[in-house]
Amino acid sequence: MILIENIWKQFSGKQVHRGISFDVREKETLVVLGKSGGGKSVLLKMVIGLIKPDAGRILVDGKNVVEMTYPELRALRFKFGFLFQGAALFDSMTVGENIALSLRRHADFAHGEIRDRIDYALHIVGLDNVQHVMPSSLSGGMKKRVGLARSIALTPRYMLYDEPTTGLDVATADGINLLINELRSSLGVTSIVVTHDIHSAFVVGDRFAVLEKGETLMTGTREEIQNSDNEEVRKYINSSISPSESGHA
Amino acid sequence: MTTQSTGYAFPFFSTIGRRGEAFFTHLGKYCSLMWWMVKNLSNAREYSGNIAQQMVLIGNNSMLIVVFVATFVGMVTSVQSAYQLYAWIPRTVVGSLVIKSVLLELTPLLTALVLAGKVGATITAELGSMRVSEQVDALEALAFDSISFLITPRILAGIIMFPILVVFGDVMAVLGGLFGAVTISHISAAAFISGMKSSFEVWDGVFGIIKATFFGFTITSIACYQGYFVEGGSEGVGKATMGTVVLTCLAVVVMDFVLASILL
Repeated sequence: MILIENIWKQFSGKQVHRGISFDVREKETLVVLGKSGGGKSVLLKMVIGLIKPDAGRILVDGKNVVEMTYPELRALRFKFGFLFQGAALFDSMTVGENIALSLRRHADFAHGEIRDRIDYALHIVGLDNVQHVMPSSLSGGMKKRVGLARSIALTPRYMLYDEPTTGLDVATADGINLLINELRSSLGVTSIVVTHDIHSAFVVGDRFAVLEKGETLMTGTREEIQNSDNEEVRKYINSSISPSESGHA
Repeated sequence: MTTQSTGYAFPFFSTIGRRGEAFFTHLGKYCSLMWWMVKNLSNAREYSGNIAQQMVLIGNNSMLIVVFVATFVGMVTSVQSAYQLYAWIPRTVVGSLVIKSVLLELTPLLTALVLAGKVGATITAELGSMRVSEQVDALEALAFDSISFLITPRILAGIIMFPILVVFGDVMAVLGGLFGAVTISHISAAAFISGMKSSFEVWDGVFGIIKATFFGFTITSIACYQGYFVEGGSEGVGKATMGTVVLTCLAVVVMDFVLASILL
């Protein structure tokens, strides 16, 4: 379980977070919704200690990430997979080497076993025979899939997705959404998805946290946020959702 | 309000203050980075796999340009030394001048300045690109110590390869000097070698190697710092890369003077 409690953060005098709080329950996918530039990605990085909040607590399995030492943080990060917005593949390595990096360093797998795990991770994300390809030759959607394969290679308990569908065409975005749902059902991971894409959010999310001006406007299920009395939440949902989608809601 | 009005009233002091603060902030961050690296040197598993690759990138890939520059520096030193000598001074002095100048100063300094541009800029651009594309964060997210993984091997490779490059440069500069003396200044090879032998001291070569070691550390560490802490996207990478070339050149010439003052 992840608990985010009263997070405050400012960058160069600009207050980005003003007391953000929400929790993520076991094996659920919580989607953090909010406008671009609202500090959603920063929040995700705070969960694994890449950025420290100015105030507040982040509890993962009951332990406060904010107060962890560097060795404790590294131990914590083994539990997490992180899909970065631009996939963040190491461009000097092949796809196979990208996935093998953490397998070689953090686990005592034999050479053949590493190869099998690379194949398996790539198979899960629907990519085969790309082990020897350089990331620069891949499309945006394929890069995200490889990033996902790299994240799940060590079978994490938690997955963090930073704008998983941003910059992708509708069909590719749907493929990624499907993959996020498949990972949850096949690996049983607990996930946080950060996005401003409301369509994607409704496909993958169990619960939602809506952020606005650095504060948590509300948390709840799809029905709860769509039927919310909060004017700001309604305004955000209605401004983000297309007429056809609202019709299906 | 007070700060702002003071700033406008004394813009000179305000600028000095801001620059001083920025300088000490950078210095503090640089020292912290180096301390982290040194503190984690015992954890060789983190970086050992990358050292050989960095040695090839820094050493092998720079060999041609170092050899080229050193050869011509030797030739020029030889020709200009001969030109400046009065007729009554024995020609063997040219060999003495070449060996002293080349070993003590010219090869280590010019090699460092060339590599400040080539190696330093490359390191900053590489690490800076990794920073802005979140590859450094990705390494940390995969439970790697990004400093030990990215920075330690580059600095160690610099410390190892710079002296080796300088030794190659020394040899080529001496051969270049001999070639220049014989073909342009019409000094016999025997006279040149005799002059060289009479002035050669092992310490001169050792001093050059010590300097190269310090230059290797300085250039790679500044370049790593600049790249690792890049801000502001690809424009920031460009600025940091240019900053590396300027800073490393300045640092090298200052260190050259300091080492000469202490060791000679």
